[in-house]
Amino acid sequence: MPETQNVYEIPIGPIHPALKEPVRFTFQVEGERIRAVDVRAGFAHRGIEFMGMRRNLIQTLYLSERICGICSISHPIAITLAVERAAGIEVPPRAQYLRVIFSELERIHSHLLWAGVAAHELGFDTLLHLTWKVREQVLDILEELSGNRIDYAIPIYGGVRRDISPEQIPKVEAMIRYYRGLLEELVDAFLRDPSVAARTRDVGVLTPEEADLLCAVGPTARASGLSKDVRQDRPYLVYGELGVKAITPRDWGLEPRGDVYDKAVVRLLEVGQSLDLIETCLYEMPEGEITSFPKIPALLAHLKKAEGEGLGWHEAPRGEVIHYIRLEAGVEEPVAWKVKAPTYSNLMSWVPMFADQEIADIPIIAASIDPCICCMDRVHMVRDGSPATLLKEDLLRLSREKTERLTGHPSPVTRHGGGL
Amino acid sequence: MTADQVKKALVSAVPGLQAELRPRPVGVRTRVEVPELWVDVSREGLVPVVAALKAAGPLHISIISGRDKGEEIELLYHFAVGYGTPGGEVMVTLRVGVPASDPTVPSICGILPGAETTEREKIEFLGIHFTGIPSTAHVFLPDGFTGHPWRKDDPETARHVKRMVEWEGKDA
Amino acid sequence: MTGLHLLWQAAAVLVGGGLLGLVYKGFDRKLAARMQARIGPPLRQPFLDVGKLLVKESVVPRDAVGWLFKAMPFLAVVASFTVLLYLPWGPFPAVLGRYGDAILVLYLLAVPALAMALGGFASGSPLATVGAQREIVMLMSYEFPLAVAVVGVAWRLATLGGSPAFSLAAIAASPLWGQVGPLGVIGLAILAACLLIVTPAELSKIPFDIPEAETEIAGGLMVEYSGTYLALFYLADAAKTIAMAALVVTLFVPYGIAGLLGLSGAGAQAVDLAFHLLKIFVVMFAAVTTVRVAMARLKIDQVARGFWLQITAVAVAGLVLLVLDRMVAG
Repeated sequence: MPETQNVYEIPIGPIHPALKEPVRFTFQVEGERIRAVDVRAGFAHRGIEFMGMRRNLIQTLYLSERICGICSISHPIAITLAVERAAGIEVPPRAQYLRVIFSELERIHSHLLWAGVAAHELGFDTLLHLTWKVREQVLDILEELSGNRIDYAIPIYGGVRRDISPEQIPKVEAMIRYYRGLLEELVDAFLRDPSVAARTRDVGVLTPEEADLLCAVGPTARASGLSKDVRQDRPYLVYGELGVKAITPRDWGLEPRGDVYDKAVVRLLEVGQSLDLIETCLYEMPEGEITSFPKIPALLAHLKKAEGEGLGWHEAPRGEVIHYIRLEAGVEEPVAWKVKAPTYSNLMSWVPMFADQEIADIPIIAASIDPCICCMDRVHMVRDGSPATLLKEDLLRLSREKTERLTGHPSPVTRHGGGL
Repeated sequence: MTADQVKKALVSAVPGLQAELRPRPVGVRTRVEVPELWVDVSREGLVPVVAALKAAGPLHISIISGRDKGEEIELLYHFAVGYGTPGGEVMVTLRVGVPASDPTVPSICGILPGAETTEREKIEFLGIHFTGIPSTAHVFLPDGFTGHPWRKDDPETARHVKRMVEWEGKDA
Repeated sequence: MTGLHLLWQAAAVLVGGGLLGLVYKGFDRKLAARMQARIGPPLRQPFLDVGKLLVKESVVPRDAVGWLFKAMPFLAVVASFTVLLYLPWGPFPAVLGRYGDAILVLYLLAVPALAMALGGFASGSPLATVGAQREIVMLMSYEFPLAVAVVGVAWRLATLGGSPAFSLAAIAASPLWGQVGPLGVIGLAILAACLLIVTPAELSKIPFDIPEAETEIAGGLMVEYSGTYLALFYLADAAKTIAMAALVVTLFVPYGIAGLLGLSGAGAQAVDLAFHLLKIFVVMFAAVTTVRVAMARLKIDQVARGFWLQITAVAVAGLVLLVLDRMVAG
């Protein structure tokens, strides 16, 4: 068997420096060429849907926020939209704008995070450190507005939990100016760098036909030239009025090839798009209530009476998030809850992208769909991990102290530790 | 793509199919209605309906969700038809009920290869049999795990939850 | 020169070279960190790293070819430190200068790479095997331009007559720049540039850290090494960095400044040695530190193609210019 003798197996993951989260690839390799790949997920499966179906809806909302640290606004937006649809709850206009602002802030920080990771996968650590330094600005703004760098706890059924005060608006505007001035430089560092281009051009190609058949979502699909963006195709919140257009490499004057380079183009341009959206929302946002249920017990009572089913969707930084929920009257917990994260849809796209590529391309191709494994896996049977309660509380205390320093007012959270 | 076009495609596949339109009001200054169609389909009608949707426009499967209703297992196929134009996508949900005693459904991977992950997930979590699916390997649960966590009163899952509760010292 | 004297000198060079290698590694890391807007580790970090590795357990994988796996770090460290003995140190001639020349240095420089590749193959891990294959391909790619650059300089000097061919001492004693015509100067400049490009490849630094490629093959040939064995490879790398930079300095900028300052005796020797070390540092900074913060890692086929076609063509062009210069000079 002369064919198979040269083929050997290389396992990548579940723990590997190229992977930021656990997933396992098994590559059949001939020399430096990849002949076949098998993907196995589930290493971060925590049973969140299972747990959600055993908790009341407020607790489920908190759980949804903890599906993933990076998409910690996307999942709450999708689940609140689904529940509001099922229970017939109206969202005040101002709250809709606030949700959009927060989700676009999240998109900026997520795309910058990706850019840094991608640079690291290419062995270009300088770019990693610079993008992550730049990313701190938007995290500071998120902390200023919500009190947290991640897990913002902003959306709630019927509205949002925090408003943006007039004093905070100049800070957000300063952030927008900062990124506008820097974006050109960042795009330059990425897209006009010969060594980056040498490593990303025509690497990990996903053709538009494959992207369509495999139902790829988000920047992965858009880099292949598909004009596919939930914010554009299926309006929700105020995105329809904001006139969002799906960004493809054509917006940068390039014919889409669906390679890693194109994915970088789409993500970097989307940072600029998000800045525009945040600015528009800040100016157009009407005054008014931020939630239709200021009292949680009233909300819970309403939800307990509700009967129906609903879908909620959102374009997360990585693509389409969709939640399906079914409520029954008299039951506090959802009867059915299904979460679909973007990586779930993009999982299949890895197979054609890896075909006939080199071992050296594995990290950047794996990273190119911006995989969010913890979003995709949602049930896990934890076997290890000592609780380390004291350490956790210490961390919590330190982070609250930092927030207080940053915002200049005491934390509204009582100080008995994180008793959720 | 409009809801009427999608309805026409659905009826052409399975004559007499009833599609319930649930328009979704969206927006603050200019209210628009985003169409959502909810359709009950028999498992025999599933493949023709999906093929008709595929022919009608760019077809995207978001997810298959499902639940155990006791006698019956309900599968919900959430599709989005016709991406590419602002506001031009119709959300179509196909509701397929299968008896718990014979949870067999034809696979739609032949029409839409992107449905494979979510179909395999339903094998793991609800114990559905998909005829014609390219692979039945586990995606999320451990290979040796034989239970189906979303089935009601699944003994394997119950055992597992009990073990975790004992280990964590608090409720699941 | 007595045997004992030789031993003392050798010990001084080896210990000094090792310490210097680690100090320069510290500077390299600190400066790279500053260029990346990081704080970076303290300068003594390489010493701490070696110290820590030496007290750690040295694991030998079950699938490894034990003796080969354990022998290769020693071979690498011996070879790279030996190079230091054949290189002149500014005002001081090479300790073993009489016993070896530029050709020997070239061979010795290839040994650590071979040792690492063999160690990689012997570790029985697929990731290390890929790394070892890449190391061999790298070695084959950069050896030719490296040899062309070194041989070109040595040959041109030999044609001027008077000194033994390929002797590094002779090259250091009479810099070529002043002895060749304009064509020769251009040729020399090209060869110097080629050698600077080969330097990070020889040292497996970004963009040529392909055999180790942390994010791809998790450290490649080094993936199974730990404890003392890893410390030895680390030391070998430190010594090789010094050796490679010192070779560039000896071939192309062997000038001292003591004469300019009007010094003589021990003072002159001290100043020239310091200047020599400074030049080594500058070469390392220019060819290793700045390059590795300014580029992404290349792929093995890109590197092989680049070295075999472009860099080799440029190096040969430099050699041809030297030959033409010799024909013009007669």
